[in-house]
Formats: sequence, structure tokens, C-alpha cells
Amino acid sequence: MRKTSEIGESLRIAVESLRMNLLRSILTTAGIVVGVVLVVVMGWTIGGLDAVWEQTISIIGKDMIYIDKWSWSGGGNWRLMEARKDITLRQAELLSQRMESAESVMPVVRLWSGSVVRGNTSLRCGILGTTTEYGKTSSAELNSGRFFTSIEDYQSAKVVILGEGVAKSLFSGEDPIGQSIKIISEPYRIIGVIKKRGFLFMDFVDNQVVIPLESFRSTVGMFERSVSIGIKTGSERMVDIVRTEAIGHMRSIRNVEPGQDNDFSINEMQAFDEQVKNIRIGIWTVGMGLTILAFVVGSIGIMNIMYVSVTERTREIGIRKAIGARRGSILLQFLIESSFLCVIGALIAFPIAQLIVGAARFVAVDLLDQAWASVVSPVIPVDLLMIAISVSVVIGLLAGLLPALKASRLDPVEALRYEQ
Amino acid sequence: MNRPIIEISNLVKRYEMGNEEVYALRDVSLTIGSNEYVAIMGPSGSGKSTLMNMLGCLDTPTAGTYFFNGQDVREMNDDDLAEIRNREIGFVFQTFNLLPRATALQNVELPLVYSGVGKAERQDRAKQALEKVQLSDRMTHRPNELSGGQRQRVAIARAIVTAPSIILADEPTGNLDTKTGHDIMALFRSLWEGGNTVILVTHEEDVARHARRIIRLRDGRIESDKVNPDA
Repeated sequence: MRKTSEIGESLRIAVESLRMNLLRSILTTAGIVVGVVLVVVMGWTIGGLDAVWEQTISIIGKDMIYIDKWSWSGGGNWRLMEARKDITLRQAELLSQRMESAESVMPVVRLWSGSVVRGNTSLRCGILGTTTEYGKTSSAELNSGRFFTSIEDYQSAKVVILGEGVAKSLFSGEDPIGQSIKIISEPYRIIGVIKKRGFLFMDFVDNQVVIPLESFRSTVGMFERSVSIGIKTGSERMVDIVRTEAIGHMRSIRNVEPGQDNDFSINEMQAFDEQVKNIRIGIWTVGMGLTILAFVVGSIGIMNIMYVSVTERTREIGIRKAIGARRGSILLQFLIESSFLCVIGALIAFPIAQLIVGAARFVAVDLLDQAWASVVSPVIPVDLLMIAISVSVVIGLLAGLLPALKASRLDPVEALRYEQ
Repeated sequence: MNRPIIEISNLVKRYEMGNEEVYALRDVSLTIGSNEYVAIMGPSGSGKSTLMNMLGCLDTPTAGTYFFNGQDVREMNDDDLAEIRNREIGFVFQTFNLLPRATALQNVELPLVYSGVGKAERQDRAKQALEKVQLSDRMTHRPNELSGGQRQRVAIARAIVTAPSIILADEPTGNLDTKTGHDIMALFRSLWEGGNTVILVTHEEDVARHARRIIRLRDGRIESDKVNPDA
């Protein structure tokens, strides 16, 4: 009861003193404003990164494992991987026959620096050869048309599915289905277009065409090309089991002696989690550094103004003590005032942060046409605002502590005698 | 004498001023009972302000004993002293000492804020106190919108709002003209007649003359302690 009436009184004083010194108070909160803007924008950026990563991971799918000569994440010894024997189509076939836990196994061969031609227009793009199972992976969700069948593959049919980027570049606006393009001087009929999948550093997936493995063999050729083996596990839960089984078979297929390291790499989208985590840590480190700096500067400002306030109101403190304010009451009064100042700072910061966030998203999505950025939230999430408010209150309490202690310890006789 | 409220014996207050020791009070013994009207007099430097701070529990003695309503003040910590000041003592100062940004009503409410009285009851009691000093029509005014006499009335309302054991007034008419000073003294008189204990600290004979008992201090000692023959 006593505390409630004192808190009420303290809030009344805080509002009043803010009103009396409006400009001074707002200038004082500048550091806090900057700090809160940084915290909020940083939190939003990390949230956005997560959202983009979620999208990116779905390009290949969390239920996919690839076995390659090379590791995607760039880890491991480059020379050692270079020395590995290529993975052959035969090995892919053997694995496909032996795998029991997987939903499907598909060989994937790539020509990274290929090109396709429509009329007089030539476009550099990747050429990917695979089997019909690839059509069921999330990498091959179609916008229109269909994927090729196993019969078309068997017959080495000259049919092609375009990545969204290729379709856009060669057929801006037109319907590409049924039309034909040339791949290394052989005409191919377009039967489907893959949805836009590319996000961030995965843009290349939109800029490739997919053809049947047998057609790839005849048009592009298999000479000295290491095959990538895609394994669809069916569900995320199965990944561990399938991986273990696949490693066992591959070691036996490639005659790896017990005790020797695998002479192939297991690639999963999860492998990139580590890199994304590093980016997050990077943003955190830089962001937190700046934020702490801003908050330190901000709290020094708050502390300074609170010392001024305590001095200015020495007599008032004397009066309050004379009529019965306890040390705790005076302490509370000044702590509430300093955290109130910081909350005001946070409230000033929110619209500024929202403006920055909105502008950043507008520039990325609308001006730079980076569609991947559209998965990032256009508004600051409420929980982030709550965190920022809480942080400001804590900063206010910390910054106000020393001045408030000074006020609470004033001798009432001295304080009453104080002349402005 | 009525039930004693203040019992002081052999009170000493010593200050350290650099390397020098200054005695503001030397061996003061004093008892003040309930519903007394006492004036403490003395020239400046006599120790009367120090004695008032002691009596008002704003300061603690260096030596000697002080019992307030039977409680040993020397044993108390800062918060106990604050509580005594809040419940048992009503201060009236020469310079009024009102909060400049608060209204008359808010100023009078303030002691009740610190004793934890709820808002409705607080306003009720503050209004009653302002009625007693005939300021019901000035409740929403701030100190700078009030005359000196009115400010001192607000201060008196604030002093009596908690129904304290003593009202302690330090030169209450010092900043007022003669006419207004008389009005304020009449108000103290009526408070005393209403059963309150009033202690005035003053150097003016005119003011002290209102009290029933006059204690004179000189050089930190009680020079005389007499019933006022004029009263």
C-alpha cells in the first residue's frame, strides 16, 4: 500500500519534471534512442536472416542428402578432395540398388558453364542432367508444364525444363512451354518451368536448365565428370538413418578400407547452418558492440542529468525527508525518474527504427528487385519492442542508481538549508 | 504536567569544523508534555536551531538521551527517524518549504503519501486540513499563486494532516508582515486550544509571548525555563 502510493507519487514527479525540462530531457535520451534503434534494427535483421535462410534451405529441401566428391560448405582439405576419384554413374546405380531406407536415389550431373540459345539470343547458364526422381524434390517444383518421364530419359528425349531465370531472360512474358531452344547446337523442346527458387547466394538454381540424364550424356558427354548423388530421405526425421546407411554402402562401393576416411563428402543443407550461425554471430558482435557503446554513452548522459536533477532538487529532497520520506522512497523516486527517461527514449526510437526497417526493405524489394528480401517482416515484431523497453528500463535503473543513492543519503538538515 | 512527549536529558551536540570541535548544545535537559505551548528562544548561535533539529528527529545527538513518546531516538536508524517525523511531527518552516510545482492539496497530501494512505482517504484528509486553516478555496493553487500568509497556512495544514504528536514551528512568522504574522499566531493558538502540542522556535519576543512556557537558550545551554506570565 505504502509502495503503491509512493510509486504513484514518483511517476507524477517524473512526468512533471519531464514536462518542466522537455528539451533537456529529450536531448539527454539521445544515446538511449540510438542504442534502442540499433537493438531493434539488429534484432529485425537477424529475424530477417532467419526467414531468408528458412526459404533458402527449402530450395534443396531438408530431406535431401547429396553425396559428392566435394564438400559444399568448403570445409575439409581441398587437396585431399581434389585427389579423390570421381563418383561415377555406375556407383550411383549401385547405391540406388542397395539403399533401403531412402525414398529415392538420383544421379545429378552438371555443366556449370553451359549456354542455351533461342534464335539469336545466347544465354550462359548451368545444364543439369538427372533422372525423373529429381522431379519430386523441392528443387524442381514447377511453375508450369511437367517434368520428364523415365521413358523420356531412357529414350534420351530432347526435352528441357527451364529455371525461372532462364525462362524470364529468353521468353520475357511469352509462354515458353512447347517452344524450343538449342543446347550445344541440339534443339530441345521446353516442357516445364521451375518456380523461382533462388534466394541470396543460391541464385544460380534459377539460372539453369534440367534435362534427362541420357540426353545429357549424348549432348554434353560424361567425360571426366564427377556425379553428384541425390538421396531423397522422404522426411527430415529419416536423415540420420539414411545418411548412415548411405555412408556404409558408399564405402563398400568405393572400396574404402576400415579405418580410412570417407573418400566422398556428405552434403546437406544443414551443413550451411554453421555458416548462417556465423553470420548471425557476426551481426550480433558488430551490433552489440555498437549498441553497448551507444548505451554507455546514453547512460552517462542519463546519469549526468540525474546528478543535475538531484542537485537542483536538494531542497525538495530535504522537504520530503522532513515530512517522512524514507531513504527508499527518495531512491525509488529518482530511479523511477531515470528509467522513465529511458523509456521515453525507447518510445522516440521505435518510429525511427520502423522507418529504417521499412526503408531498408523497400530499397531491397522494390528498388533493387531482390525478391528474396520479401520474406523479411516489414514491421518490427512486438516482442522485439518489449525487449527494447525492458533493456531501457534496466539501463535507466543502472544509470540512475548512483544519483539516486546520493539523493537518498542527503542529510535532511543540510538539504533544507540548501539555497539554489 | 500532562503525559510527557519529549524527554531530553544531558543532550550534547558536537560538530567537527575542520580540526575544531564546536559544541552547538552542551548538556541540555528538557521535558515537554502533551498539549503544551512552548517557545524556544535565543539569539543566533545559541543552539536553538540545533535543538529544533534534534526535537524534530532530523538530527541525532552526540551524547545524552532523547525519548520521544517513550521511544529512544538514539537507537533509531534513518528510516525509523523518517517514520517518526512522518507520523509524530508536523514541521512549519520560516520559508514555508512547499513543493513549488505541486498544488496546495498535493502539498498537504504529501505526508500521507509517505505513510501509505490510499488516494481517496488522502484527499479527504488533506481537504479537511485545508478547511481547518480556511483555505478550502485555494486547493488547486500552486504556491506561487498564493500570498505568504496563505503559503504558511498550507504548510500548517500539511503539518497537521497526519495528526502528529507535536507541531514544530521554526520562525513561522519570520517571512510575513506583522498583520499576517498575527493571523498565523492566532492559528497556532487555536490548534493548541484544540489539543495539539505546539513548539515554536523564535528569536522574536513578540512571537514567543503567545506561548505558555518560554525556554531561553544561550551558548548551547538552557538559560531559563519559565511559565510565560503574559499568557
